[in-house]
Formats: sequence, C-alpha cells, structure tokens
Amino acid sequence: MKYFAVLITLLRDRTLFLEEIRQGIKIESKIVSLLISSSIFFAIYGAIIGANSSLPQVISSAVKLPALYLITLIICLPTLFFFDILFGSTLAFNQYAALILTTVAIISVLLFSFAPVTLFFLVSIRDYEFFLLLNIAIFALTGLIGVKLFYQGMQFVTESNYKMFKSREPLVKLDQAEDAPDDFVKVQDATPVEDKSQRMRTKLLQFWLFLYALVGSQLGWTLRPFFGAPEEPFQLFRSEIESNFYQQVIRIIFTVLGFQ
Amino acid sequence: MQADLEELRITQKELENLSGLDVNEVFMGSAWRPSIIRYPKRLLSFLMTEVFTFGLILIFCLPIGLIVARSFGGLTGDASSTAQFLQVSLGVSAAIALLWNLYMWQKGKSLTMLAHLLDEVDKHNEIIAAVDVIDELGSVKNSTISLIDRREVLAALTATRESLVCALMTEKILRKHKRFIARRHELFSNIETNLATLQHLQVTNQADEYGQLLNEALQIGMSVHQELKKGT
Repeated sequence: MKYFAVLITLLRDRTLFLEEIRQGIKIESKIVSLLISSSIFFAIYGAIIGANSSLPQVISSAVKLPALYLITLIICLPTLFFFDILFGSTLAFNQYAALILTTVAIISVLLFSFAPVTLFFLVSIRDYEFFLLLNIAIFALTGLIGVKLFYQGMQFVTESNYKMFKSREPLVKLDQAEDAPDDFVKVQDATPVEDKSQRMRTKLLQFWLFLYALVGSQLGWTLRPFFGAPEEPFQLFRSEIESNFYQQVIRIIFTVLGFQ
Repeated sequence: MQADLEELRITQKELENLSGLDVNEVFMGSAWRPSIIRYPKRLLSFLMTEVFTFGLILIFCLPIGLIVARSFGGLTGDASSTAQFLQVSLGVSAAIALLWNLYMWQKGKSLTMLAHLLDEVDKHNEIIAAVDVIDELGSVKNSTISLIDRREVLAALTATRESLVCALMTEKILRKHKRFIARRHELFSNIETNLATLQHLQVTNQADEYGQLLNEALQIGMSVHQELKKGT
C-alpha cells in the first residue's frame, strides 16, 4: 500500500526524503501518507498497552495514543513556524508539517518495533506498576531518538538555505590584503553573523522541543487512562484531576522499588 | 522488455510532469478518478483510503471533543453521558468525512477531460504490456507465436503516444487558463468597441499627421480582429 511505501522510503534514505521536502516535491502526499501510517502504528501500540486492562480500554487507547502525538504536533506547529520565519527561514508551512511528521512517523515505527517486547511483558508479568514503568522507559527512549533525529533533520533542511550566503574562500588572499583596494569586502567577516543566527535557531529548536514536551505531557495527563489501572472500572477519562504527570512518575518509581 | 517498447510506455512520473498534478491509480491531484468503480483492485484501494481517512478524522475529533466536553462540564463519567458524547463525536466525524468527500467530488468535476485521458493512457500501457508478452513468447525457440508486423505496431503505438502526450499538455494549458478562455467573448467585444472608437476618431481627423497614425492603428486593429476571428 502506497502509504507504507512512503514510510519505507523515509526509513531507507532519510537524507533523500529530507532533500525532497526541502525542494517541495509532493509534500501533500507525503503528509497524508505519514499521517496514516504513523496513526496505524501508534494505534497498534496503543491497543497493546490497553490490553493490560479490558477490551473497551484497548479501543480507547488505540484511539488516544495517535491522538496524543498528532494533536500535540498540531498545537505546537504554528509556534515553530512563525518563530522560524521570524528568524529568517524560507520554508513553507506544509514543509514544516512534513518535517515534523517525519519525526513522529519514525517515533511510531520505533514504538511499533518495541511492540513484541511489550506484548511479552504484558503476558508474562501481570504487574501494573512494572508495566507502566516499562512503557514510560520505552516512550522516553523513542522520544529521545526522535528528538535527536528531529535536530538533524531540521539542521539539514535549513542549513542548505543558508549555504548560499557562506563562501568558502575569501575574495582576497590574506597576504595580498594590504594591496587590495579599499572597497574589497573581506568575506571572512561575514561568517560570525551566520554562526550567531544558527545558534539562535538551535536555541529556538530546543525551546520548541521543551514546549512540545510540556504540551504533550499535559495532553497525555488529560486524556488518561491509557493503561487502565487494575482496580478501577473502565472509564473514558478519569474525572478527578490529581497532581501532575511528573509527581505520578516519581510515585510509581518509589512503589516499584518497594518504598511506600 | 525490449528497449524500443520500454520508451513507448508513459510512466507515472511523466504523467505527473505533463499534467502538473499528483496522479496515480486512484487519485488525480486532489480528486477521485471516476474509473475506480470499474476495477475491483482500485475500488478496494479507494475503500481503504476512505476507512483510513475516517479513522484519522475520528482520532482527531474524539479527544478534542473529550477535552471540550469535559471543560464545559458535559461529561459526568457514567454510561449514558459517555454514550451521548460518543454519538455526538461520531456524528461530527462523519460530517467532516462527508464534507471532505464532497470537496473531492467537486474538484473532480472540473477534471473530467483529464480523467478520460488518464484512462486512455492506462489502455495504451496495457497494449504495450500485451506486446511485451507476445515478444517474450516469440523469443522462445520453436515458437510459432509472433507479431505479424512488429514495426507497424510500434509505429502505431508511437503515434498514439505522441497524440496522448500532446492531449495531456493541451489539457494542462486549458485548465490553467480556464478563466481567460471563459472570458474570451468579453475580450473580443472589448476589441470591437475599441475598433469602433478608432474608426470614429479616424473620420474626424483624416487630414493631419495624427490622422495618419490613427489610420495605421486602425489597420493593425483590423488585422488583429481578423486573426482572432480566424482563431475562434
């Protein structure tokens, strides 16, 4: 099916894929294919983690997990787009969407590749807290790899836009500099400006990733339950809003280690 | 496939270049191709696309609806309000899916000529595949199967290919300049009124140099008018 064909092209030759995005080749079809294939992989993994509890939870998690990643993406995309334009990017909105979708699609493939492992632990160890912690570790790992690939991807695509302003050699060789007429511009002076701009944009990417993590964890907390605690009946959502995501993680770690 | 046969094929990449749209078996640009009804494989692909798109819309609508409903206090966590929420969300998703399909159908209405041309291209490629099969059968030793006159068949296929390529390019140009072509009567009537104005001016200013210039402009205007009349 052609949706997976696009994903496989992405996995096999990421550089070529990113180059095509930079040139704006068939962006809409890439976006649609990546959306569909990543949703399917997320839904499969979501079904597995929901299988810890009951059948309605399976369906519920299968819908919620893709929604978590994709809705966070939509919420954070305009911020990235407008801030990057402010700092001189020349890419279009749909190119940004395609870029971030490549990251999300790769995260979905990584999660899907952990599916047999999770399934094994689901079947062999019937301990809710341990399962929870295992999945948090898997999500963190895939998230970190996704972030690293996102950095590389963004820098590859946007660096090429800046290359034309960087020249590799000065117009005048340094030992002839004294003889050069006064209106010759020494091109070496130009590079520090670009470095500063590049560092600014890296900082912007970091800020945006932090924003994405914030929105994502809050959305995840709002949309819970994903796993379905064993003692509670199935609910579409938990009606009490208690503490926050990070406190819960610490509490779970303590419980598994036996302090509580 | 032999080399001379291979270059007679019209590949998908070439189709995309000629028509300027993203075409494949099911889509042309962002519209459905009407011919998907005739082939079961394409119909299956179409149905799967519909299912996936509905799933995608559902994935987006349900959680957003959940958050909105919860913040407005609509959900209480018991079964009946959950069921009501699900019904509303499914209804909204179905409405969005319907709107999307209507949009695709509307887009498709302006591309009927392209759809016919694409079907013709498919038939052309099938003929080439058939010729290739006969070639392969003919290359087996002691085989009695061969094309009666391969050169003529190839010449006919080349002519078909040329006309298909020209038709696709023409269709693209006509589609891109649809507005001008629709307005051509208005443009012609503009030229005619300008011509009448020039003639009137000419009569009143015949004697002087200005009149000579007007005369020339009138000649030019009349020959343009005649050329355009020939062209329609």
